[in-house]
Amino acid sequence: MEKQLFLKSKKIEKITLIFDALAVITYIALFLFLFNHLQMPMDGQSVILEDLETFNPIYNDFPGIFSNLVLNRGQMNSIISILIIFFIVAFPMLFINIKKNKTRTIYDIDSYSTASTFVQAIINLLTFNFVGAGLRVYNTFVYIKFLKGYSPKEFFKSIIPAIKNKRAERKAKKLEIVEDEEVKDEYSLSIKKSIRRQTAVSTVRLLLTYLFLVLIALIIIIPFYWMVLTSVKTFSESSSTLNPQFFLWIDRWNWVNYKVVLTEQNFGLYIKNTVIVALLSTFGTIITTVLSAYAFARIEFKGRELLFSILIMTMMIPGELYIITNFITVSKNGFGWIGNPAGENQYFLAMILPFVTSISYIFFLRQNFKQIPESLYKAARVDGCSDFKYLMRVMVPIASPTIFTITILNIFGSWNAYIWPRIITSVGDINGSNYWLISNALRDTDFVLDTGRVMYNLQIAASTLVTVPLLIVFFMFRKYIMNGIGRSGTKG
Amino acid sequence: MGNFIKNAKEFLIKIGNAIKNFFWNIRRYINKFKRKISDFLDKKKINPAGKFPGWAKALVYLSPALIVLGIFTFWPIINSFALVVYENYNMTSDSITGYTIFGNFIKVLTDESFIVPASHTASSAVINTLIIVFISVPISIFLALGISVALNSIKPLKGFFQTVYFLPYVTNTIAIGLVFAYMFKTQGGLVNQFISFFGIDASELSWVETNAVYWRSMFVLIFYSVWSSLAFKIMVFLTSIQGIDKQYYQAASIDATPKGRIFSKITVPLISPMIFYITVTSVIGAFKIYNAIVALFGVQGTPPGANYNLQSIVMYIYQFIDGSKEGQLSVAAAGSLILFAIILVLTIVQMQVSKKRVHY
Repeated sequence: MEKQLFLKSKKIEKITLIFDALAVITYIALFLFLFNHLQMPMDGQSVILEDLETFNPIYNDFPGIFSNLVLNRGQMNSIISILIIFFIVAFPMLFINIKKNKTRTIYDIDSYSTASTFVQAIINLLTFNFVGAGLRVYNTFVYIKFLKGYSPKEFFKSIIPAIKNKRAERKAKKLEIVEDEEVKDEYSLSIKKSIRRQTAVSTVRLLLTYLFLVLIALIIIIPFYWMVLTSVKTFSESSSTLNPQFFLWIDRWNWVNYKVVLTEQNFGLYIKNTVIVALLSTFGTIITTVLSAYAFARIEFKGRELLFSILIMTMMIPGELYIITNFITVSKNGFGWIGNPAGENQYFLAMILPFVTSISYIFFLRQNFKQIPESLYKAARVDGCSDFKYLMRVMVPIASPTIFTITILNIFGSWNAYIWPRIITSVGDINGSNYWLISNALRDTDFVLDTGRVMYNLQIAASTLVTVPLLIVFFMFRKYIMNGIGRSGTKG
Repeated sequence: MGNFIKNAKEFLIKIGNAIKNFFWNIRRYINKFKRKISDFLDKKKINPAGKFPGWAKALVYLSPALIVLGIFTFWPIINSFALVVYENYNMTSDSITGYTIFGNFIKVLTDESFIVPASHTASSAVINTLIIVFISVPISIFLALGISVALNSIKPLKGFFQTVYFLPYVTNTIAIGLVFAYMFKTQGGLVNQFISFFGIDASELSWVETNAVYWRSMFVLIFYSVWSSLAFKIMVFLTSIQGIDKQYYQAASIDATPKGRIFSKITVPLISPMIFYITVTSVIGAFKIYNAIVALFGVQGTPPGANYNLQSIVMYIYQFIDGSKEGQLSVAAAGSLILFAIILVLTIVQMQVSKKRVHY
């Protein structure tokens, strides 16, 4: 009976997850559609940045059943903001639930999970995911039946007696306490006093600790908050000289800023470049590091430790030293990838190839490989498994969390790369700026108008565009990233 | 309808089987081929596995990494020693006029605004870097220690705070640097707004813009570098504090030891190796500061209209790399070798001290 109920709840949960996923996809699709629909003050091909503030288009060309819909700028902003808020709420919930659902057992059902399911149902209701909400409420009742044996009807009937019971219990407790306080000799009083003093001191200390921690947390969070807020401000709001606004209602979040940054300021192109470079260099890094970490961990050859310690020693050398010669290597007198006339430069090669391996990751992965027992290797050898097969079938699956961590950290590295892309795209032809990666685009793009004023809101919107993907990946894979950095400790 | 589904199913299974058979056949042929080769080798009494010693096998696995490292890591190390002894190295024609041993080092050391401030600037790369190192590293270490001890003493919301404090680590230095520059704007900046909240007139207080005084811009730079370097330190300290045996604290609490003494006599000594490690790595990191300055003050490292610059050593090196003039790359190589020497000394000190262990 219990098992059946558990299986039933699990099935319902799976269906709920499907609907949650559908809801998230709907939010994304709607967001993309509306974002694509946002209009900018155009002058032929280019956007008139000066008019961005006063431009107030009417959106009335929606397809299908929405053809009668007429929205102004504020309403459009509100709808997009609401969609983003929905996504921020629904996506983590979906992600956490998928993780949880994989490992859920019959022992995980308790009053806490019941309550959290109900709260999630309310959240679903607030994010317009009605099917999910209904299914979750239904699932709550299944849990209640599982835990207490009540059917929904009995459950509602049992609420009032339960409250009455609790009240009676509380009354009984109060009476006991009153009886307790009857004891009044000097000794017990002094003990009570000192206990009271101690609790007071520890409470104050706890409060101060929390105050300190909250203060630091505020200092850390405020730049992020200010960044996101400024990125949706209009130009005059972002450069106001007096009393900047600390909060804006959702209809004044100008999502068109992001559209201008992505299209007019070419950040879409830079993101594409960065993704290409990040993926290819990570792919190369994984292959080279896995192979060489395996060689250093398992294959015995003369001079292994010597070679490895030489590699470790080179980690100490500052990157600036490499960059000087690498610049010569990739330019005309070396491989000739850069420094040629326009159209003949191989910027991607020059940006990817120097970074397709990393000594610190080899070191990190080797430590991981070394922990895998040697007996496994010998058993595999006896069964006629070749080295490469053993590496692919045994080592890589066991070390996959580490490899995943390396992947994420390496992609972060490419995303944050500044000096190397800047140096190689600044020489040679003028088209170098088409190959900018996102970080040096952020620094080198001109956000200054012809009138000499800096478009702070666009600049900060570009910063947000760079930061938010990092934060999303961090929140999704927090454990991997923190473990990886804690153990490899590459950056000071 | 049912018949149709049945037929379709059968059809799909047939296709699947065909594909499976195809791959199995290929495998069979390969195996047959392998067997033939091994039979042949047996007949001729050749043992290929015996002919490959360990290093040959290792070479196969290591070669992709070693080729890349050889070109982009080992060659630069060798070549920078070569660059340093060249006189007037010209990158485009790959020609030199002569050799010199210390000439390029002397050029760097006597260059204006490397050690000695130039006549038109009030600061130099080395002075700036040393100020950053000696102010930001101690502040961030003490702050990180305090935060991690405080974090260790609470239970609710601990995970939340830990995550929040880790945020600066995963962000882009340039992006947040631009946000900091925006926050420290003279008029309408968040910081000046906050200051004027206390009744101080901050409308003329310039941090990173025109009329910014040296120490004010330096304050912003140090504040930002502390802000962004706290995350890693807090994480390392917290992990090492959590690794301390609980018995020490229990013994101390039985003796009613004050919290301050617990901190100074138990916590700090027991994590002292970690503190030392972090000190050395963050001193090295602070010597290599670059991105933060570029984000806050632009590629030149100078606030607009200022008579000083905030260049660091690394920034000084990078300004030569475009290779437009003769001999510049040699100067850059000399500068980076000086930086390397500093780092080498620090690392050797760290290795020596951590061998002796700084316990107790």
